[in-house]
Amino acid sequence: MAEQAIVRPTFAARYRKILLGGFAVILFFAAWQAIFLFVPFNPLFISKPSLIAAGLVDLIGSGDLFHDLAVSAVPFFIGLAAAVIVGVPLGIVMGWRPRVGYALDPLMTVFYASPLVALAPLLVIFFGVGVSGKAVIVFVLAVFPFIFNAHAGVRAVDQLLINVVRSLGGGEWDLYRMVIFPSVLPYIVASSRIAVGRALIAVLVGEFFAASEGIGYAISRFGDIFALDRMFGCILVVMVIAVVLTEGIRWAERAAFPWRTRQ
Amino acid sequence: MAETQTLDARVAALGGADAAPHRSLWRRIEPAAWGAGSFLVLLLVWQFVPYFVPLKPGTRLFFTVPSRVAATLWQMIVSGSLWAPLGVSATAFAIGLAIAIVVGLPLGILIGRSSLLNAMFDPFITAFNATPRLVFLPLLMLWLGIGLWSKVAIVFIGALFPLLINTYEGVRNGDKLLINVVRSFGAKEWDIARLVVVPNALPFIVVGLRLAIGRAVLGVVVSEFFGSQEGLGVVMVRAASGFQVDVVFAGLIVFAGLSLLMTGLVKLVEDRMTRWRPEHVNAP
Amino acid sequence: MRQATPVAGRCGLGDHDRRLQGEIRRTQENRIVRMAGYIEGRNVSLTFRPPNRAPLRALGGFDIAVEEGEFLSIVGPSGCGKSTFLNVVLGLTKPDSGEVLMHGKPIGGPGSDRAMVFQEFGLLPWRTVQHNIELGLELKKVPAEKRRATAERLVVLVGLAGFEQHYPHELSGGMKQRVGLARALATDPDVLLMDEPFAALDAQTRDLMQAELLRIWREARKTVLFVTHQIDEAIYLSDRVVVMSKRPGRAKKVFAIDLPRPREYEMRVTPEFNDLKLEIWNTLKDEIVA
Repeated sequence: MAEQAIVRPTFAARYRKILLGGFAVILFFAAWQAIFLFVPFNPLFISKPSLIAAGLVDLIGSGDLFHDLAVSAVPFFIGLAAAVIVGVPLGIVMGWRPRVGYALDPLMTVFYASPLVALAPLLVIFFGVGVSGKAVIVFVLAVFPFIFNAHAGVRAVDQLLINVVRSLGGGEWDLYRMVIFPSVLPYIVASSRIAVGRALIAVLVGEFFAASEGIGYAISRFGDIFALDRMFGCILVVMVIAVVLTEGIRWAERAAFPWRTRQ
Repeated sequence: MAETQTLDARVAALGGADAAPHRSLWRRIEPAAWGAGSFLVLLLVWQFVPYFVPLKPGTRLFFTVPSRVAATLWQMIVSGSLWAPLGVSATAFAIGLAIAIVVGLPLGILIGRSSLLNAMFDPFITAFNATPRLVFLPLLMLWLGIGLWSKVAIVFIGALFPLLINTYEGVRNGDKLLINVVRSFGAKEWDIARLVVVPNALPFIVVGLRLAIGRAVLGVVVSEFFGSQEGLGVVMVRAASGFQVDVVFAGLIVFAGLSLLMTGLVKLVEDRMTRWRPEHVNAP
Repeated sequence: MRQATPVAGRCGLGDHDRRLQGEIRRTQENRIVRMAGYIEGRNVSLTFRPPNRAPLRALGGFDIAVEEGEFLSIVGPSGCGKSTFLNVVLGLTKPDSGEVLMHGKPIGGPGSDRAMVFQEFGLLPWRTVQHNIELGLELKKVPAEKRRATAERLVVLVGLAGFEQHYPHELSGGMKQRVGLARALATDPDVLLMDEPFAALDAQTRDLMQAELLRIWREARKTVLFVTHQIDEAIYLSDRVVVMSKRPGRAKKVFAIDLPRPREYEMRVTPEFNDLKLEIWNTLKDEIVA
């Protein structure tokens, strides 16, 4: 046993995947930058990493970027919070009370399957182009993942564990505390990952439609005025935010629920 | 004690739906009855809201009832005003989805079988999958113009990643034991792919296809809202700004119907293909 | 060169035991003299090097010699490398050092002269019983009618007539392993490798399958290399039993099982059987790390 403990894999072997991935990303940007040494560069059609970086520095320096992000963040978080507050209890009730589940499940499936984003024009006109309109779109798109996963989480509660806790003298509250919440919670966190993605779409849709500020508005306006360096910059910022949010939740899932590792 | 007993009953009901072999007729149709009932109630309530709730004139502009939506939809179908825009939308959907399948499946298998490609592609797949495809729309409109191809591109990007990722997961999930079994009978890499990897990945791929269809429909709708001059999405936006709420809902129903129809078809194919699976094992 | 078999009778044994062991040694020596060396493992060592984890020495100088037509069992503690050795014989894994010979020739890869029965059955879930049995023949490009004829014959041999068109998930564990056995026999190999084939079955099914295996072995006349962690099973089935040390695995001791064949279930309660069982247990128990 001792001999096995001492032998450690090399640094390169341990971090092979991360190193290769990082290398690929650097390679991609380097190739992007270098390709214009060979093909003519048309700033009205494409940008390159050096210009994008400069554009981003500008946007950060002037404070425009943070202003737009802050404007977009408000409806994003309001809509998400509303989706959690409505979706989770609804899903739990649907799972716990079979008849409620029977009644609402087909309805929810149809809503979830339909491209509800198609209602966006209506919602924008009805609720206005400000925070409330965007927040409602966010809510409409993000609420269904919470409903479905909370529902699935309750249904996945293990009868055996309930019997175990009860046989050890646990009461109703102990069941909730020791079995039901821990088994539903991972589902809800997992659904927040999906919901975040949909909420981002919602914010962008709302801001593409009609807005005077916000990150979605910035992207579409920079496109209109052919400021491609800034447009690419903003797109990259959205990509980074999206990755950080979804991967962050994934990381939190692994950290908070280590017993659920799929590998 | 009474409390725990009701809890018992509730817990039993959770898993009970598929347990008892001798169920009465009512027990068997109960879920469907509740589902249909709730639909009916929703429609009725919606229909009769105007009779009970006084609507302000401003709100009434945005309000419609199911009967009016149905009438409008019917009108659009018989007058033919639905078909031309729907055809435009369907074309973009079909081309984009087809390219996504042609690119996504082989790439997914390749990345699933090679850890080097996997490591190098991973950051890009993660980034593009997490990002709403919509942010590329202004760029794509700039590159491809307003019209068919920018829509196709959005549909393609949206549908590609669920297909790619699910194929890849399915291939990676390839049962080590089964691979060893066929290798022990002298199978080469091609036989392994044919006999184990692909059949094993098929349920994953089908799930990917279902997701891809949903995203493709979404892609069509959204790109038509902003970057197009024809198509069903365009009809809906115009109707919204003209306060023709019935038309917006009619369009939504058409899109939802198509989405459900397509995923239903995939499900049908899936059921036929996976007769070998035990009933209670569902694709992830 | 082949190393000498480890000497028996080191620890405190009763007179009876010592006499028994003496007999075992004699038989062994006799066999070594006339041994053709049908399958020979010489000083086989193998270390696994999983990424991101410490390397694992599975085999450390394992020696073995199997006779043609012999039923030989390998018993050992969990993780001692018994299954690894079978994979080496099968040709799926290459040893770091040492060699495994069959007919005096080194094993280069999988071949149709060997076939494995796997512990977890390893049936392709999307294939019916018949098509699972045909798998090896299909890969050997045997024509369809011939494959079907072979499958039909084997289905009867393993007692699964009528289940040809069933999918694996519709079968019980014992039936699945019958399919696994039929599949291994389909390519008509000289050697059957069996990797704890009955470990996933319940006790009664296991007893039944052991008797079935002996019947099929009598009919098919194969050399069998059988890995198990059940001493009873090893004695009941085998001509000889090799006890392995804990990881990295070596052959610790070889026992000849000179019990008459055909063997009946009652044989398991005879004093001879129990003496052997105790003997093997005493050899094995020091190697078990609980």
